[in-house]
Amino acid sequence: MVELFDRLADRRAAANRWYADSTLTGIALGSIVVLVGATLLQVSFGAFPLPLEEAWGAVFDPRILFSLEAWQAFLLGADIPEWFTQQQHIVWNIRLPRILVGVLVGANLAVSGAIFQIITRNELASPYILGVSDGAGLVVLVVLTAFSELLPLVPVLAAIGGGAAFLLVYIIAWKNGTSPVRLVLAGVIVGTFFGSVQRALFFFIDDLNTVMSAQAWLSGSLLNTDWGEVRIALPFTVLAIMLAFVVTKELNVLALGEETADSLGMSVEKMRFAVAGIAVLSTAAAIAVAGLIGFVGLIVPHMVRNVVGGDSRRLLLGCLFLGPALLVGADVGARLALSPIQLPVGIITGLVGGPYFLYLMRKTENLGEV
Amino acid sequence: MRKNEISHERQISREAANDGTDELASQTALDVDELVVGYPSTDELVIDGQTLAVPDGEVTALIGPNGSGKSTLLKALANRLEPDDGRVLLDDRRVDSFESKELARKLGRLSQQNTAPDTISVEELVERGRYPHQGFFESQTDDDAEAVDEAIAMAGVDHLRDREIGTLSGGQTQLVWIAMALAQDTDVLLLDEPTTFLDPRHQLEVMQVVEMLRDKSDTTVVLVLHDISQAARYADNVVALKEGTIYASGPPEAIVTDDLLADVFDIDSEVIETEHGPVVVPLDPIVEPSQNETNESEMLQRGSGSPGQQE
Repeated sequence: MVELFDRLADRRAAANRWYADSTLTGIALGSIVVLVGATLLQVSFGAFPLPLEEAWGAVFDPRILFSLEAWQAFLLGADIPEWFTQQQHIVWNIRLPRILVGVLVGANLAVSGAIFQIITRNELASPYILGVSDGAGLVVLVVLTAFSELLPLVPVLAAIGGGAAFLLVYIIAWKNGTSPVRLVLAGVIVGTFFGSVQRALFFFIDDLNTVMSAQAWLSGSLLNTDWGEVRIALPFTVLAIMLAFVVTKELNVLALGEETADSLGMSVEKMRFAVAGIAVLSTAAAIAVAGLIGFVGLIVPHMVRNVVGGDSRRLLLGCLFLGPALLVGADVGARLALSPIQLPVGIITGLVGGPYFLYLMRKTENLGEV
Repeated sequence: MRKNEISHERQISREAANDGTDELASQTALDVDELVVGYPSTDELVIDGQTLAVPDGEVTALIGPNGSGKSTLLKALANRLEPDDGRVLLDDRRVDSFESKELARKLGRLSQQNTAPDTISVEELVERGRYPHQGFFESQTDDDAEAVDEAIAMAGVDHLRDREIGTLSGGQTQLVWIAMALAQDTDVLLLDEPTTFLDPRHQLEVMQVVEMLRDKSDTTVVLVLHDISQAARYADNVVALKEGTIYASGPPEAIVTDDLLADVFDIDSEVIETEHGPVVVPLDPIVEPSQNETNESEMLQRGSGSPGQQE
């Protein structure tokens, strides 16, 4: 009788497996639909009135699509060709790069969130759990208050600050090795301290505009992003995500806990640090161009895991699609909902993220374990 | 007086073990040599200068009360803990001289409590046991798939193959973890309390897998067991530990005796010989003989007065 039940359950599980594979495809397709829809809206509407056919005429204008000169300007930072019309300028230099940056940031946050959730073995971990956001935030505030001449370097400096804070967290957590709990606690310590200093620094800013831009940065915003941001984020994003997919096997073993990973012949400390490094690189690429966008790195891996299961490869793949879809979708709201006022996209992701967790809390009993 | 007896007895058992190694030097899978181990966080030594030879292709059970160093010894065997002194040899090579994946291809260890993500399937978990056989950029080969199939069949969890870990019972989960360790395809397998917390049927299934490992694939199995009768029934050798020292080791008939259990576990017990091997019936805890009368009665009074306080 027990056997029979097991066999039935197994049949059902096999169906679930098939379902999981098909749901990964589903996530990918759904994400693409959302992305295309968001792109349609983003290109078609905005502060500058642009008739639909003109906007889309500019997008598919072969003179730009196949112009070496234009792509050199976009990707390598050469001067924008002089023959660009105003419409082409708005579509290609303002609306399209913003979408592209959104895609990169969303992918980075989702993938690094998934990695951090595996490393800390905690479903509620985010890319910011090991101090990265606090280090970056502090650096930004310091630059705004004391070194305004360094303002153009803020993206890079913020990423470096995030990396430094991550190293500090590791040093604090280290005592004959680390453990997920020690790492998270060290993250809280560093976060609390840096956060206080960061808020204190606000009082030293005289100029209201500077305060506003600091706020926008801390909330995470895609406002005023253009090809410059694409050029900063693209190489690091490609590198980090490629590395992440190289280590999926290692992530799978890390997810079984230290004892098991060790008995399977993994040097746990080294691997954990290396994998965390990949995730920090990914997070830093996102922070550098968009500031601290919350919740994306937390809910996307969570949603994907619920649907496709805990295998790292499928999880990262799902994140790679859903992250951009969620972020670019949220940015539509941030940009167009209260037009002409543009909100930081981080506010929209927070407004979406809160209710999602409320729903999860009501629905599941043991929330929190990977 | 009593202390002398103990050390004398230990002397005999060590001599016996030494004789064994001399004769069957090539048939020793693991050699523990004057091993001293402690945990980095405390100065106290858990295993203090112990020597043991684990015979190749046999089942060796470690028994002993809580805190006697069984799990620590197992961790030291697997190079999970660095010895303060002495050494552990696997195939005449120090375990700490192996590269970590190389060691994991020869020696597997399943710890007491394991946690896997709830949302992976049984098959996926077992596949992860192939990790030490795969290079950094390698993905799954035919060999891996075959080993996974064999491990799943051997552990008898074929019918659970596509189930998610989170949906399994405790006994099923343990068998799946054993399947993962089997997929690792090692010569030596260390199991830390593989039957604790399982119902009788799953305990039997686990022990049958252990027997099968020894009989069909000549695997050396070292396992920690709390059930002394189980150790007596399934193990070829029993090692009794007490307070970090190997009190005695040898075939079950020699170790599982009333006297030895009294010394090692501080219990009065009756060992009954049955056709299924010796069965241990624990009767009473022995009160420390060193304590004087008044202390004893005081303790008893306190014990009866507030039973909740007794651990």
